[in-house]
This record gives sequence, C-alpha cells and structure tokens, in this order.
Amino acid sequence: MIQFQQVSKSYPGGFDAIKNLSFEIPTGELVFLAGHSGAGKSTLLKLIAGIEKPSSGAVLLNGQNLARMSRGSLPFVRRHLGLIFQDHKILYDRSVFDNVRLPLDIIGFDYQEGRRRVLAALDKVGLAGKEKLNPVSLSGGEQQRLCIARAVVHRPSILLADEPTANLDRDYAHDILELFKSFHQVGVTLVISAHDESLMADYGRRILRLKHGQFTA
Amino acid sequence: MKAWFRSHTLAFTRSVGGLFRQPIGSLLNLLVIGITAAFPLALWLLVSSLAGISKNISVEPQLSVFMVPSADQAQVAALQQKLENDNRLKVVQFIAKDEALKKLQSSFGSADLLAGISENPLPDAFVLQAKDPNPQLLATLKQELATQAGVEEIQLDSEWAHRLARISELGQNLFEVVLVMLGAALVLITGNAIRMQILTRKDEIEVAKLIGATDAFIRRPFIHSAIVQGITGGLFAVGMVWGAIAHTNPAIEALAKSYGQQFALQTPDALTILIVCATIATLCLVGALIAVSRHLRQYR
Repeated sequence: MIQFQQVSKSYPGGFDAIKNLSFEIPTGELVFLAGHSGAGKSTLLKLIAGIEKPSSGAVLLNGQNLARMSRGSLPFVRRHLGLIFQDHKILYDRSVFDNVRLPLDIIGFDYQEGRRRVLAALDKVGLAGKEKLNPVSLSGGEQQRLCIARAVVHRPSILLADEPTANLDRDYAHDILELFKSFHQVGVTLVISAHDESLMADYGRRILRLKHGQFTA
Repeated sequence: MKAWFRSHTLAFTRSVGGLFRQPIGSLLNLLVIGITAAFPLALWLLVSSLAGISKNISVEPQLSVFMVPSADQAQVAALQQKLENDNRLKVVQFIAKDEALKKLQSSFGSADLLAGISENPLPDAFVLQAKDPNPQLLATLKQELATQAGVEEIQLDSEWAHRLARISELGQNLFEVVLVMLGAALVLITGNAIRMQILTRKDEIEVAKLIGATDAFIRRPFIHSAIVQGITGGLFAVGMVWGAIAHTNPAIEALAKSYGQQFALQTPDALTILIVCATIATLCLVGALIAVSRHLRQYR
C-alpha cells in the first residue's frame, strides 16, 4: 500500500516538481504514471522509494512514514522495493550475473540459493545463458531486461519502473510490459511511468496523469 | 552469523581484489604509507638505542685531571701527594702517560696505528672520585684543581653522561612531535587514498544505496582495504628501517669501537613490529572512516 498525503516537493531554486498530491495505490495494483518529461514522474517514484524527501506532506509505505524514518532503517524498507531506473544504473565493471546478484549480496543471501535465484531471474527476463557476459555487450533492450532482473531477484513486493519502455521499439516495449504483467499476476504492486500513453491503453489499468506536478483528468 | 561472515569475506575479496586490480597505484600508496611510518619508527629505534647507553653508564661522577704534557715529575708528584691527602676524595688514581698510551694501543688492537708517532702525545692524568657525588662539591673541586701548577684541563666525566641523557630526552620529544605529525599525515594519506577508491566505485555505491544497502555494507570493503593497506604499509616501513639499519650499523659499530664503546642501532623486535602495524592500521582505519562517512552523507 502506497499513500501520498498532500505531498509537495520543491527543489532548491524554487522549482516545484510535485504540488500537493494525495492518492493511494492498494497492494497488488498495477498503476501507470503518464505525462511529458518534466511533469514530475521521476520525482514521484523517487518519493515512493525514499530517495527524495517530500518538502511537505507525508509518503506512507505500508503505513510507515518514510520521512520520519531513521537513516538506519530506510535501507530495510528499500529491500521490499524493486527499482528500475531510467538511466539503468548498470555496473559495467562486472558480469551480468554479478549485476543481478548485487541485491542478494546486500541482503546477505546464501551463495548457492542466491545463484539459483539469479539464474531464475535472468531466465524469467529472457537473458538465460548470458550471465557471464559483460553488460556492455548487451543491446539496449537486453540492458533494460537486465535492470528488471536485478529489480526482481530479491522478490520485492513493490516494483517501481521509471520509463522502462523509453528508447525501445513498440514490439519490444510490449514484451517488457507483458513481463511486468506477469509480476502483477503474482501479487506484486507495480508503478510504471511512461510518456507514451498509447502503450498503456492496451492494458486497461488505472493511469495517473501528471502535468506540472499535478494530476490532470 | 553465517550471513555476517559471508558479507565480510565478500567485502574482503572485493577490497583486496581492488588493490590487486591496480597494482602500481596500490604499490605506490603502500610505499607512501611505509615511508611516512618508517621515519618515526627509525627515530624511535635511535632514541631507544641511545637511552640504552645512557642507562648503562655509571652515574658515579668522575673528575679527570689532565696535566700539561710538559709537566715534570716533581709537579706530578706534588699534586698526587696533595690529592691523596684530600679527605673529600674517595679514589685517586694516577694514570701515567706511558700507561695511557699502552691502553690506547690495546683498545685499537694494533700498535701500528701509533707507530708513526715519535713522541707520546698523551699527558699524565688523575682520575678522581669524590666521597659525596654532590655537583656543587665537584664544581668546587674542579675550580680548586684548575689553579694547581701543571694542570691543563679538568673534565667532569658525569657531564657527558648527563648530556647524553639530555640528548636522548630531546630525541624522545622529537619522536613525539614527529609521531603526531606523521600520524596525522597517515590519516590524511589513507583518507585520500580511500576517497580515490570511493570515486572509482561511485556508481556501485550509488546503486547499492538505492537498492537497500546499509551504510555498514558500503563501508565494509573500504575498512578492509584500509586495514590491509595499514598492515602492509607497516611491514613496508619495518622492512625499510631494517634495511637502513643493516646499511648503517657497520659504520656505527666501527665508529663506536673507535671510542672503545660497543654500540649498534637496535633492529625492531616482534612486539615493535606488531605495535607499528597495529598503529598504522588504526590510523588508516580512521582515515577510511572519515572518507567514507563524508561520501555517504550525500545519500539518503
């Protein structure tokens, strides 16, 4: 359950990225976040993940106010989240396998069990057999899949994806969205942002439309 | 417990692997740590070696009275008579110039050294010990004897022992100053080295923080790295000092022998090596902790 209570976020210099937003996303729902770039989609996702602190209002994750959380306990909340970043944030100094393995290392997973999980996640996103490669040798779409594998390997209950279909052709974008749908089917809460609304229409889900940091109809 | 152990082994292999991935950079860094630490270590060994001598010297003050070389038998006999009758003195020992020359020859182990000298250059001398080693009495004695006919010079032998003690005290103070300064330098050096390592792993730290790593998880490999660098740097320092001592000791021993003394710089013992490595590792750890927490402050 994700709750926003009159949340505003302004950046130094007076730019208001999010203006007085209130909404709820119940557990297990798949929600799309639409709007042009600069509308506040990324900021909204960062607020959910606790990467940004709201300037006012409260962001609640399963009833817990993120802003009130101590520096020490925030990491443990983040472990329930899977994040897919707009800029991928893939580490090119290690193999595909080690990239996906990172969240499990952070949790302190057993080596053998972790290995099985990583291979299963790579298989799920269609990168089976590429675990030993360096991510540089992957195509753009494959890198996107690598990000997804890394975001789901520790089986988070909430998945946040920032523009996961950007720069992908339509067919590939559909594949990715189908992948998300399969996570949704096993009970994961998903928030997916995109600037191209035509893709979302096919899925008939709730769409939150952002413009200048506020919802539009 | 198993997870804790695993995360430490993981951090350790990452950090040590990181040191090996950039061998030249790591080696240079270790050399810097080693050289910085070698200086106070060498000074410490020098000071403790000197302190060793000044402790061994008897504190019983002696007055050496040297006659002018031209002093005749009568003058010497008169003075000897006077000294032996002086009830303030405990010991009056006369060393005739011929006897002094023999002693000198035997301490050099060869007569050849003095073979070229036709005339004995040494004076007759008296070595005196007062009953009461009070410095004021010794000064009075020194003043009185200076006016006697045929006396050229009087040396208060305790003076140089005191001087040596003072020098080793000065060395001790110098050592403390150098220790504090270079200790601070070590913290800064490792802090900076770790900061560079952080910068090369900036992306990894960011991603790890974003997906739920605790500060301790991020800190761990850098702590391992600092401790490994500290211990290795300490061993470098010990090695350098050892080499320096091995290089200079023959010359020092020869010089000491020429004064009829036995003296050599002490090489570091196991306890010293342990203390050196532990101290440097601690300083490196402090530097690393400062660098990592400074960097971590930018993430939430």
